[in-house]
Amino acid sequence: MALTKEEMLAMYEKMLLIREFEETVANVFSQGQIPGFVHLYVGEEAVAVGVCSNLGVKDYIASTHRGHGHGIARGASVNKMMAEIFGKIDGYCKGKGGSMHIADVELGFLGANGIVGAGLPLATGAAFANNYLKNNGVAVCFFGDGASNRATFHEALNLASIWKLPVVFVCENNMYGISMSQKVHQNITDVSDRATAYGIPGLTVDGNDLMAVYEASAEAVKRARAGEGPTLLECKTYRHRGHFEGDACVYRCEDELNQWKKKCPIERFAARLLEMSLAEQDELNVIKEQVKEQIKGALEFARQSPLPDVTELTKDVYCD
Amino acid sequence: MPSVGIISNPASGKDIRRLVAYATVFGNNEKVNLIKRVLLGLDALGVQRVYFMPEYFGFYHRVIESLSGQHRPALEARMLDMPIEANQSDSRRAAALMASVGVKCIITFGGDGTNRVVAQGAGEVPLLPISTGTNNVFPVMVEGTVAGLAAGLLATGAVRPEQALVRAKKLVIYINGRPVDSALVDAVVLTDQFIGSRAVWDTDKIKQVVVTRGATTNIGIASVAGGIRHISPEEPLGMEIVMGDADAPLQVKAAIGPGLIKKVPVTRHKLLESGQRVTVLEKPCVIALDGEREIQVNRGDRAEVELSLEGPFVVDIDRTLSTAAAGGAFLDKK
Repeated sequence: MALTKEEMLAMYEKMLLIREFEETVANVFSQGQIPGFVHLYVGEEAVAVGVCSNLGVKDYIASTHRGHGHGIARGASVNKMMAEIFGKIDGYCKGKGGSMHIADVELGFLGANGIVGAGLPLATGAAFANNYLKNNGVAVCFFGDGASNRATFHEALNLASIWKLPVVFVCENNMYGISMSQKVHQNITDVSDRATAYGIPGLTVDGNDLMAVYEASAEAVKRARAGEGPTLLECKTYRHRGHFEGDACVYRCEDELNQWKKKCPIERFAARLLEMSLAEQDELNVIKEQVKEQIKGALEFARQSPLPDVTELTKDVYCD
Repeated sequence: MPSVGIISNPASGKDIRRLVAYATVFGNNEKVNLIKRVLLGLDALGVQRVYFMPEYFGFYHRVIESLSGQHRPALEARMLDMPIEANQSDSRRAAALMASVGVKCIITFGGDGTNRVVAQGAGEVPLLPISTGTNNVFPVMVEGTVAGLAAGLLATGAVRPEQALVRAKKLVIYINGRPVDSALVDAVVLTDQFIGSRAVWDTDKIKQVVVTRGATTNIGIASVAGGIRHISPEEPLGMEIVMGDADAPLQVKAAIGPGLIKKVPVTRHKLLESGQRVTVLEKPCVIALDGEREIQVNRGDRAEVELSLEGPFVVDIDRTLSTAAAGGAFLDKK
């Protein structure tokens, strides 16, 4: 791992961009300004940024219902994302999809997904395509601990392992499947244990430590590109907000949340940058301000964008 | 009442060495099986109480539930009343609590890293370290039943401590003159700036090494020392090694990880005696202790490593069992 200062600051900025985007969405959602449901990624930023920082233009990612962070980490436009969440014509799906359908195929972002575990076969298929085309691309699938109980998880890992596909399965284990604690939905605590059953490497890292995620995913991606097959990478993390906005979170205690807030991935990384004299506080403050401005701009863009005309309703939905 | 402590690390055997080397996968359910066999060994020799460290996987409940049938032990199992932070401080605090309630031995399930922190909390209470980690030099690969018997012989007084125990060495890490941490096997100075995924596998980043022991039968950095000169766990010596580049006068072929055999360039090396301190030459750096990156040393800091002969007491399983056998402890003549 030989990251330059610029690369590290870019990763810091990306995490901040996700945090600011999500907190802004939370704010406008609470004011009733946006339609539909949103599932926010606050607290899990190091996973998306640590993994996506290892990807190139030929690579794909498949995301989840909590997909804003993955999209931003992959380089998606925050303007178009915000417009989509507002249901506006300039959004990624022209306002017809909302939070859980944001996708950008040009960026290799195969989309958020409203169905738990549905990204697993998508990413496996994308990895198959890369393998078939011999373009040295890899695919990454983000999913949660709950999704690891779905048949799609087992089918995808089985196929990927038997065909040695270039795919990295990234489990964001945030300890809850909706409101159900992992303790009561599976008889293991480390989802990476399941790799053994498919004859592939499985490992667990601290998902709130950007560099731990970055290093582990770098090795998994390297392995995939070298034709050595898939990896199951489990990142232990925690969502600061509810499963969805409006969730009363009665299934978890305040103390648990506060303990995890102390492990905030952004603050941890910033502290290390300062300790190692890799950045000055002033530099970090400038980045924060730039990020705030960028998200303000995205919000304004979304507000100014028109609602889709009723004639748009069936466009891009059916094939001719 | 003869009692024993059980500290099982649910995170051992799952790190990045499964990707960058060919490390063993040791699932937690297999650790449950291992603990069950240890408990049955302890029970057979009359240990009456066992204390478990609480942790996120729940070894205590799983072991007790699965031993509730025909092999249910007579001993009483308790879980320590302590908060879980899900990091290595749990093991340290659990060991200290076990020492305070008077356990005669702490049985650990983990790797070198697990034992490092348990030793920091255990004080004079001996450890019986069972390997379930990755780069394991300190803990031993042993069948759980046999380990349970050895711990039981010590805990019940059937074998005296002076017959059963050996004292390990340790390294004390000083930052700006203050002791901040310790290691049982090795301290490795790396050019890294982050702790990150913790493991050490890129030898190009290793600048300096201090070890308490060295053998070519070891896996990890201790094998580099072992390739130069064998240093047994009992010998009152350690070694400092300063790494070089491809032109270094000495290249040591060493198994620095499971399946990972590399030529390590060495500029110089020297034996260390008890109390001798070595200055860390590279700054800023990260110091890995017993195979895991632990300490971030900043540019203005002064870091030193000292060899100490006052490490934890460790149960010598072979000696304990053979002493017991010689004394007829396993015989029941009619």
